[in-house]
Amino acid sequence: MAELDRDHTAEVEIDTRYDPAGVPIVTVAGELDVSNAATLQATVASIVAKRPERLIFSLGDLHYMDSAGIAVLLGAADKVNAVHLRDPSPVVRRVIELTGLAGVLSIES
Amino acid sequence: MTAVHEDSGPAPEAGASVELGSTLAGSLGRWRPPSIALVAGLLLTAALALTALAVYNRNERRVLNLRVRELSLVVQSTAPSIQTPLASAAALADATGGSPQHFRSFMAPYVGRGRQFTSVSLWPVSTPRGRPTAVLGTAPQLASTPARAAQFLGRANRPGVMNVTGFLSSAHPSIGFAYRVPGHTRGFAVYAENPLPANRRSTLERNSAFSDLKYALYLGHSRRTSDVLVTSEKRLPLTGRQATSVVPFGAGAFTVVVAPRGSLGGTFFKDLPWIIAIAGVLVTLAAVLMTDRLARRRQQAERLAGVLDRVAAENRRMYTEQRSISQSLQHALLPEIMPELNGLRVNARYVPAATGVDVGGDWYDLVAVDDRRVLLVIGDVSGHGLRAATTMALLRHATLAYVTQDCSPATVLAKLSDFVNSGPHDYFATVLCALIDVDRHQLTMASAGHLAPLVLNGGGGEFARVQPDAPIGVTPGSRYHEATVSVPPEAVVVAFTDGLVERRGEVIDVGLDRLRSLAMRHKLPIDDLLTELARDLTSEDHYDDAAMVGIQWQN
Repeated sequence: MAELDRDHTAEVEIDTRYDPAGVPIVTVAGELDVSNAATLQATVASIVAKRPERLIFSLGDLHYMDSAGIAVLLGAADKVNAVHLRDPSPVVRRVIELTGLAGVLSIES
Repeated sequence: MTAVHEDSGPAPEAGASVELGSTLAGSLGRWRPPSIALVAGLLLTAALALTALAVYNRNERRVLNLRVRELSLVVQSTAPSIQTPLASAAALADATGGSPQHFRSFMAPYVGRGRQFTSVSLWPVSTPRGRPTAVLGTAPQLASTPARAAQFLGRANRPGVMNVTGFLSSAHPSIGFAYRVPGHTRGFAVYAENPLPANRRSTLERNSAFSDLKYALYLGHSRRTSDVLVTSEKRLPLTGRQATSVVPFGAGAFTVVVAPRGSLGGTFFKDLPWIIAIAGVLVTLAAVLMTDRLARRRQQAERLAGVLDRVAAENRRMYTEQRSISQSLQHALLPEIMPELNGLRVNARYVPAATGVDVGGDWYDLVAVDDRRVLLVIGDVSGHGLRAATTMALLRHATLAYVTQDCSPATVLAKLSDFVNSGPHDYFATVLCALIDVDRHQLTMASAGHLAPLVLNGGGGEFARVQPDAPIGVTPGSRYHEATVSVPPEAVVVAFTDGLVERRGEVIDVGLDRLRSLAMRHKLPIDDLLTELARDLTSEDHYDDAAMVGIQWQN
């Protein structure tokens, strides 16, 4: 999990919306790793500051996520009652399953 | 045997050495092109200037030769105007038997101030010590030297052509012309005498065609100063470039010597060699300055390139050094694995990422709990760098401490979780604990989000079934499930971290399958198996550290 690839800068797109019920939905697309996880961390920090009940990450177009990315999701789960991962790509889904995090970050298809 | 550290990073490069001599050679080298430009420019300039000078000199000589010939013709053309009246008077004297009256009346218009002759006289040739029978104008000097008169008008006189003589050393220098009719042995000679200018000086008029020449006219073929008839100069002989021509004049001759006052071909051609020389030197100097500037710039560029090379080499050296330090630290933090433990053959590998200088957070441990049991721990702390490494060391030693209290994997992980969650932290760690019962060929495992180990059995291989719970540090109060699996005799178990199988852009199962099929193909002692896996699964650009621990039952 120790990402050492400093030269590589992954491309990630982050988009925040709110559903009709006022639940924040953060769409993360591209690749999320140690080089850009701080960007998502800043977005998440501004959202959890408003103390929402739930937080949804939409990860259908996220094709790579390393431990730094997982750490951001776990950090959000620590501050919000429920964090859901919506429609994660197989790559992300398997990482969540194999690291025993499905209980912490509930996956909804 | 100690854990082997694979390093696929770049080999250390020799440090750049600064050559002291290069500075000296460089400053000498800088002067070479300007020196060449200077020498070449000056040589070319000299060649051009000398050529121009040679052409100029040749032209001047040619022009001067032409001019002296022109002057000769002018001098020569005066002969008939002198000879004709004398010849006519001589013929008249012959015809009239030397009549003084006829002679005087014929010659009177030619003699006197402002006329052609100053003195004219008629001489009978037969008289031994002759005297003139008739004289017009002043008395001739010839009459005062009877012997010379006899010789000049007698035997030495060529009849039918004008003869010339000069009284050049006399107080009143003059020139004399004599003519006698041919065919008569007893005839008459007509003699005319004219004074020469005082000091022989006669400058040509400014608008004359020959005013650009210095000249000297000599009597006969002589060039002695005593024989000069007339000249434009105070001092003789003429010096410098000059041309000479002998002018036939009656029976005698004059010698004409001329020298140019200035440049005959024009001042431009005279100055041309100097113009070429000065311009050439200026152009050469400009070329030298320009070459020097270019050479200096090039030298600066080379120096800069050298500096950049050294900086790059220094960076490479520092990178290599940092990387070496990181790997030494990692090595220091990881345990030495004994080759045999309670009847197990064991080994481990740590493969750092191909690039970067950070230390990773991967670790492993193998400890003998008692005579027949061995506890395997492998883990991976999120993040990287010194912080991950120190966290790893903390977790590793905490784990060893908990193992001494209770070696149950689930209990060890729960205690570790409680320990981490007891304070603020910003990391998580995946950990696999496996208690190996050597005699019963059993593994009791608990996983905190860690990948399950691979169990190789003869030709087959499968990942052990163990349900992962959340990683350490994620949820306070986490509890862990244990699973016990039996393995066949001679089985090989390989536990590993995700760096061995994870690749960007592929589902992790693909990497797991790659590991499984590679491991199944090799029926090797675990030392060699781990070496092969490390080599085949970590490529040139693998970006994450990877750790492996292998155990093999011995018979």
